Amino acid sequence: MITVENISFGYHNQPHVLDDVSFTIEKGSWVSILGHNGSGKSTLAKLIVGLLKAKNGTITVDGIELTEKTVHQVREKVGIVFQNPDNQFVGVTVEDDIAFGMENLCFTREEIVKRIDKYAKQVGMQDYLAKEPHQLSGGQKQRVAIAGILAMDTDIIIFDEATSMLDPHGRDDVLGFIKTLKEKGKTIITITHDMKEAILSDEIIVLKEGKVLKHDHTKVVLQDKETLNESNLELLPSLKLYHKLETAGIVNEELRDYLWQLSLQK
Amino acid sequence: MAIKFTEVSYQYRSPDGSTFNALKNVSLDIKATGEFIALIGETGSGKSTLVQHMNALMKPSSGQVEIYGVKIETDKKKSKKQKLTPLRQKVGLVFQFPEYQLFEETVLKDIMFGPMNFNIKKDEAEERAKRAIKQVGLDESYLDRSPFNLSGGEKKRVSIAGILAMDPDILVLDEPTSGLDPKGRDALIDLFKSIHETYNKTIIVITHDMNIVHKIASRVLVMRDGELVFDGSSEDLFNNQSLSEWNLEEPDLIKMTKQLEQRYEISIRPFPKNMDELFDRIKDVIR
Repeated sequence: MITVENISFGYHNQPHVLDDVSFTIEKGSWVSILGHNGSGKSTLAKLIVGLLKAKNGTITVDGIELTEKTVHQVREKVGIVFQNPDNQFVGVTVEDDIAFGMENLCFTREEIVKRIDKYAKQVGMQDYLAKEPHQLSGGQKQRVAIAGILAMDTDIIIFDEATSMLDPHGRDDVLGFIKTLKEKGKTIITITHDMKEAILSDEIIVLKEGKVLKHDHTKVVLQDKETLNESNLELLPSLKLYHKLETAGIVNEELRDYLWQLSLQK
Repeated sequence: MAIKFTEVSYQYRSPDGSTFNALKNVSLDIKATGEFIALIGETGSGKSTLVQHMNALMKPSSGQVEIYGVKIETDKKKSKKQKLTPLRQKVGLVFQFPEYQLFEETVLKDIMFGPMNFNIKKDEAEERAKRAIKQVGLDESYLDRSPFNLSGGEKKRVSIAGILAMDPDILVLDEPTSGLDPKGRDALIDLFKSIHETYNKTIIVITHDMNIVHKIASRVLVMRDGELVFDGSSEDLFNNQSLSEWNLEEPDLIKMTKQLEQRYEISIRPFPKNMDELFDRIKDVIR
């Protein structure tokens, strides 16, 4: 469980990127943090894993309050996959890269080798272990990053716009992995501006200009026309038409139900 | 024709001696003005290799590329003597993630870098930078700022301004909207549209976003395993071709239009371009 209480953050003397943000994420749930560029969503992810330090407020992960002393304990619980596959490839080869996180957590050599094999297979990269990053596509690099996080076996995994630089097939692959992880009982946080991705999660937190605009079950947020308009997010045509019927004064419950079902489908 | 490809093929060679055919017998013509082309296809289908042939950054293994009347030599000895710089000024290429290529202290210097490489004098380059920054929808106050303190969308605009300052006839952009949010993406698309309409420049955009293709492209090129498998209008592509055969997704609006067609057993063809058009076409049926 993650509890964020009254968190504020600003870079140097600039206005606050996050302003008094509070929410709770339950164990085993999948929560999307939605917002446009500059809404503060990536900053929030970095705060939760202790890459940035909040000005005010507290973050608690599974009962441990995040401080300089506990940051390593917290990182054993929270893994993060970033947006740009090139910026997070630290190993010389695929094998090295998957091992990196486990080495930091001081796993035995034997255990590391075992897990590289297991998780490379899970993400379909077992034939690429000796390859170097420049020989891989963006989607393949992102799979390697995911294998590294899976191998660390953290309870919570944050995907920070992990699909936004991938082509449609790469995106579907990553979303497939996320679904599997959720089924295994992991807590998932996806940070995104893609509604198609957010629709798959249990809850949505909408951020706007550093504040929580709305936090509710996904279905409730999708019904809320005002929030959707205010958040500058792009809706699927089915949801747009769903809301348009109401504006146009057309009463057709059957079509509304149908569009609603379409909107919730992947 | 500004750019003419005749049966162009390109082979990559790995150090271990194996080869890979990135382009296979591609023939196409591109006009110097007035075209808005979307270039689509799966990752690895040859899109980036194709556009790098358009300003002679790459040279064909066989076949011929002609750019503004200049035949690109594949023969190494002859090609050394060829003056390709003027062609690269005429066909401006914006690479993927151009924001990572910004390097100067100020936005002004960064934009001036391109034109000065083409021997434009400093004063003139500065004038062009001032014009280009406005063309991409930013004001002159940005010129004194460091490019590294800008948002992702602003950085992309600055790097596009750097190419515009070279005053190319044809602008080629490799996945220009990747990584941007919907608002930033739409703003950039509007920018391309206005450059296309105001200056009558030909624009070629590589993209994976079928919604963009549907919204703006008049002509579409589809690459598949190094071959050009479709070259035609976007209306023809979406109304008559089988996208799934090329592993391409349908635009969201067309997907839903088809679902409504089935549900109400009606025909909504040709497909509507936007939500308002769709609504007009179905409002009598759904009332």
